[in-house]
Amino acid sequence: MALIEKTKVELGKAHPLDKYLRIERIPTLWCPGCGLGVSLAALLKAIDRRVKEGVLDPKKIVFVTGIGCTARTSFYVGFDAAHTLHGRAVAFATGAKLANPKLELIVLGGDGDIAGIGGNHLIHAARRNMDLLVIMNTNFIYAMTGGQLAPTTPPGLYTTTTPQGSREKPMNVIKLLAAFEVNYVARGSSIYPQLLEQYYYKALGMRGFRFIEVVSTCPEVFGRHIGYRDPVTLYDELKKRVKVKTKPSIEESSLDWDRGIIIGEYIVNDYPGYIELIMGGKK
Amino acid sequence: MKRVYTHGNRAIAEAALVAGLKFYAGYPITPTSDIMEYLAEKLPEYGGVMMQFEDELASINAIVGASWAGAKAMTATSGPGFSLMAEGLGLAVITETPIVIAYVMRAGPSTGVPTKSTQADIYQARFVSHGDYIIPVLAPWSVQEAFDLTIKAFNIAEYLRTPVILLSDATLAHLWESAVFRDRGEVEIIDRKKPKVPPEKYKPYEPEEDGIAPMAVFGEGYKVLVESLTHDERGFYIQDTMVQRRMVQRIVGKIIKNIDRVFEYETHYMDNARHAIVSYGTSARSSLAVVRDLREKGIDIGMVRLKTIWPIDEGSLRKTLSGVEKIFVVENNMGKLVWDIQRIMHDKEVIPVSIIDLDLPSPNEILEVINEWL
Amino acid sequence: MKHEVLVIGRGGQGILLFGRVLGVAAAKYAQLHVSATESYGSETRGTESRVDMIISDKLEEIDYIKVRKATIFLVMYPFNLEKYMDMISDNACIFLNATYIEDFPEKPDWKIHRAPYTEIAEKETGTIRTANIVALGHVVGKTGIVKPEHVIDAIREIVPSKWLELNIKAFNVGLNLP
Repeated sequence: MALIEKTKVELGKAHPLDKYLRIERIPTLWCPGCGLGVSLAALLKAIDRRVKEGVLDPKKIVFVTGIGCTARTSFYVGFDAAHTLHGRAVAFATGAKLANPKLELIVLGGDGDIAGIGGNHLIHAARRNMDLLVIMNTNFIYAMTGGQLAPTTPPGLYTTTTPQGSREKPMNVIKLLAAFEVNYVARGSSIYPQLLEQYYYKALGMRGFRFIEVVSTCPEVFGRHIGYRDPVTLYDELKKRVKVKTKPSIEESSLDWDRGIIIGEYIVNDYPGYIELIMGGKK
Repeated sequence: MKRVYTHGNRAIAEAALVAGLKFYAGYPITPTSDIMEYLAEKLPEYGGVMMQFEDELASINAIVGASWAGAKAMTATSGPGFSLMAEGLGLAVITETPIVIAYVMRAGPSTGVPTKSTQADIYQARFVSHGDYIIPVLAPWSVQEAFDLTIKAFNIAEYLRTPVILLSDATLAHLWESAVFRDRGEVEIIDRKKPKVPPEKYKPYEPEEDGIAPMAVFGEGYKVLVESLTHDERGFYIQDTMVQRRMVQRIVGKIIKNIDRVFEYETHYMDNARHAIVSYGTSARSSLAVVRDLREKGIDIGMVRLKTIWPIDEGSLRKTLSGVEKIFVVENNMGKLVWDIQRIMHDKEVIPVSIIDLDLPSPNEILEVINEWL
Repeated sequence: MKHEVLVIGRGGQGILLFGRVLGVAAAKYAQLHVSATESYGSETRGTESRVDMIISDKLEEIDYIKVRKATIFLVMYPFNLEKYMDMISDNACIFLNATYIEDFPEKPDWKIHRAPYTEIAEKETGTIRTANIVALGHVVGKTGIVKPEHVIDAIREIVPSKWLELNIKAFNVGLNLP
């Protein structure tokens, strides 16, 4: 315990991103090898760049999350934050944005939270081109509740609720969102944090609805189910499957664990966001 | 101040504007939609935003979000929509978020008769979400009161940092009455307490002496934590019996401590009354006619009408009813409030007058039951 | 002074407008207390529609929101009239649209007024749609429930300008009916 305390204090002095964290709540509950920490670091770096440019005011940044491992991000960030209900973060954030358009709303959640139980809110926020940045962490499994089927689970896979193997096909949220006139849709991965940071950075400077899927690692639960419980092995396994592409087409976006997952910027637009439409052009 | 001739739903919408509503989220549902339609037109003129969401789940969560962004926020719905709001209401409770829900009851269960009335949902209004809590529920009986109690609902919500339910019904929704609507400046409007300490000392759930924690909102630099998990005064999740106890007791305690601000009732013909009717909402309109009919026949009966149905200040109700022999609880359902009245007045004869009517119980039907007991 | 006004008609006859105009006249211009409900079948036209209105100069006289004993009873169309017979007070003023109603029972203290509102409306204003306002004029003229100028004010407040003069004319015609 004393060692942890000491480490915390030293970390507090050491890291330039600590100003964006609630240091007293570190260490996180995320398991060793989890991609969430890497993804969050990339996000905080992108925020820091936008803050330094004067594009973002840290006081106006609000993190809104639902329930799940990813949703715990609200615990750790040193911004206004809301750890709300499973699936409802997009709705909560929409209300906050409409009530105070000066806020920069960042919604984070797992694929179960954002695209499963919260799928309808995601669809309608996209339909409205609502001024939100939604980050979905795809780890192919319900991790916090112990390894049940997720909307993104690969076909045939054993989970605790599909003991005979999943009969369902994974959900391609990129393609779903392509049905709407949204401004930004990208897929990154925690195994390419620099690329992820670029996507975050770009999205944080845009208006309207922005969505980033982060293909991530969950060695403890997903890894255990597929036989790669060791974080490094799972990381290497994912690296084999993830392919980076500039300007991939929507047709290439399927979330296919066996044949490979293409990451990149799928949609980049600059339509007026909902807020501009209701405020008559004033953001 | 203006003299109006209008209906219950319009009164709620007008009062919300006077109370300072800045964000309304909703989903169409009979018999409530005209609240949303009216606010869609008017709220922008008052510098606010009305948004029709994809469902009631989104609506309730959006108003909680909007409240934390600093806006006075409300939604309106009916039974089926309110059922969907159950979880979101709990979020407002645990995060101590001021919101107002206008709940216009319609006959159920399930889809029931969308255009017609009931008082069957008073327990759903009280206990729809899981966990321990008290949500104030106000039940107007006239268009005038729909206006007055909506303002009170906002004031309680803001003062106590709590969700408040304004419980109307389909009959009052489209009952047209003369009323006087007061304007800002003519009526007391309460806004939530702001923190007096700098951000580094601020704890979003640390109460002051009155039991209520000041509320910083998003964008002010306080790094507020809105937390749906059990949390301490900072908003930190802690899995600990003492923290759970302290939090729940605070959430319940602040309502109890301020019950004088919440509980309201009125009496009719209760001086030396031998018997009493207890009623609320539109049923009380019929009950009052019954009291007058019986008085004309020389029967000393009075009426206690609850304007606040939850929480009930049990001590003051006991005192008011202490001198009567028989208590008749008149309501438009299978008998609901009567359970509580039987408990509170356990040493009296408490008789349910439970009459299901798609409009409101008629005086003659009520008389039929009461006459059997007198 | 407490009036219980019951109006029965057929969907599309403008019963609801009758209620709104009388309600506004009484509530806003005559400064009386008013409580009214409207009901109608699920189809907008052709089924029975009904307005119950309680009007009093004392707020405390208003309790039950529906008519128990009508002091003023207007029938624009004879839907199953029998069910209303017990709801008419002994000294009620009864107004019958003679266009559709011929027979009506008598009682010693009932004051029954008959006029063919629909025909009068068509003849005087060129449309049967103002029959309700002709009837309103008749009711106001015979009962003095509110002053005619209050009704004119209410018509001006509610009725779209396109139909305003027509309705005022209809009201005045009704007001002068015997």
